Formats: sequence, structure tokens, C-alpha cells
Amino acid sequence: MELIIGGAFQGKSDYAKKQHPEICWKEGRDLGADEIFTASGVLNLHEFIRKEMQAGQDLEGFGEELIRRNPNLILTSCEIGYGVVPVDAFDRAYREKTGRICTVLASYSRKVTRVICGIGTVIKDA
Amino acid sequence: MLVLVTGGSGSGKSAYAEEKILSFGQGKRIYIATMFPFDKESDARILRHRQMRAGKGFETVERYTDLKGLKLDPDSVVLLECMSNLTANEMFQEEGAHERTVEAVMEGVKHLRDSVQHLVIVTNEIFSETAQYLGETALYQSYLGEINCQIAGEADEVTEVVYGIPVYLKGGCVPDEKNVE
Repeated sequence: MELIIGGAFQGKSDYAKKQHPEICWKEGRDLGADEIFTASGVLNLHEFIRKEMQAGQDLEGFGEELIRRNPNLILTSCEIGYGVVPVDAFDRAYREKTGRICTVLASYSRKVTRVICGIGTVIKDA
Repeated sequence: MLVLVTGGSGSGKSAYAEEKILSFGQGKRIYIATMFPFDKESDARILRHRQMRAGKGFETVERYTDLKGLKLDPDSVVLLECMSNLTANEMFQEEGAHERTVEAVMEGVKHLRDSVQHLVIVTNEIFSETAQYLGETALYQSYLGEINCQIAGEADEVTEVVYGIPVYLKGGCVPDEKNVE
């Protein structure tokens, strides 16, 4: 597994595509709940998480299941946890869940890269 | 030693900070809890943190304001969690320091650092987003930002935890596995 993270509009998707031109990339928001387990590359995992939570899924154990069922997946996700605690309860839950899931995925990933201004800094290379 | 651990929401800051405390060895482990249990959501959050700490030998001390008045055993290794709550408490609670929040927090941090063996402080990055705040929230951000900068200035180590991965900003290194219990 490999994780590419960073703030919005930092060039994560372009970076991911450049690093892995062979991958067939899918957008997280377009993936069905089960399709993510067979994808080879997912852009914007946070949008998948939001979509699933809006559909009423609590995503408990989702990170672990993704590691088990799709261990070679390459993902990008937005870092959304760097602001004031949101007033809206759903936004709070979504923000925290995205952090927890990405932390689980990062612990399993052989490589984690943080993209800022289109430039990737590798923060984990196991 | 004074260690500052920062990061975003759900980033694994607490787990890292606990590991840091364990790496100091066997001293008397104190956990200063600053979150005031005001609703179900904070109760759940407190419970989650209690479960994470279970079995690690921490004694919990609840402290919502006035860090400077806290007396601890000089042998203690102390985890203070977290600065974002303490700052809000000092600003908004009746017995808080209000407009003296930054001074009160920093006096408390220096008092603790000088009176215990090791102090690890968890804080929060709440400064990178599109939303712009006014009034109390903007003031809160400015206070916490100032406090984070001042603590970092005093700290021996400053680490940002990104999804569980430590990014070292000042001092520090990977904790020695042999010293982690």
C-alpha cells in the first residue's frame, strides 16, 4: 500500500499519476462501497469516506478491511484535520474518521508522501 | 526535558505522546487531562483516551485551569493533553485567566517543566483552512498559535505527527525501541 496526502489543490492527483502512470485511477467519490476493494489506484479517499458516511455507514474497521482485502492499493487523500473544530456534528465525525482511517493506512503503507505545491516529501519509506 | 507534540485531528498525536512518555522509563506517570466533560461527545472522547492509556501505568489528574497551582511529585513524567482544551478553558471558563490566557498557560508550562522530570505536551494544529473566523474563535486561534510558538521556543523537541508518522521539527529522533516498554 502507498499513501499520498496533502492539502487541497496541491497537485496530489497529478503527482500520483506521474509516479504511477501504469495505474488505472478511480475517483473516491465515484466508487461503490465494494469497488474500493478491487481498485488499484484511488484518488481522494476522503471523498469516498464522506460519501459512505453520508449514506449512513460508520466505517468502523474500514481501514483494517482495506489493508486485508486490497493490500497493494495506492491512494491519495486530502488532509482535512488542520482547522478549528467544525461546528457541525457530521463534519466533526467525518474529519476525525478520515484522520483515523488514514493513520491506520499509513501504518501499513510502505511509503507515505506529503505533497505541497506539487512537490512530494516522503515522510515514510519502509 | 520538554517535548511538544502537534498535529491535526485524528493524526495519532496522543499515541505518539504516550509512547514518548513510556520511552522515559519508569518514573511516576501522570496524565493531566484538560478536557472538560460537557456533553456526550466529550464523554466518548475521554473514554477513548482512557482506553488507550489503560495498562500503561498513568495516574490521571484532571486540571481545567491554573496549571501553575498544580503540585506534582518531582519524580513525575507528565503528559499534558491537550493545549487546545486548556487554552479554551482559560479563555472561556469562569475561573479562567481570560485576557491573560497566554501568560497564565506559559507560566503553568514553565512551572511544570521546572518541577517534574519530563513534560510532554500535546497540542493541535488548527491554523490551516479556508474558513475565516471572527471574535472569540479568531482570538482563540491567535492565543493557541502564540502559545504553541512560545512552547516550541522553550521545548527540547517539537514533533508534528502526520497520520502516526513523526515529522521532527526540532530536536528528537526515533524513540529507542529498547527503552519502550
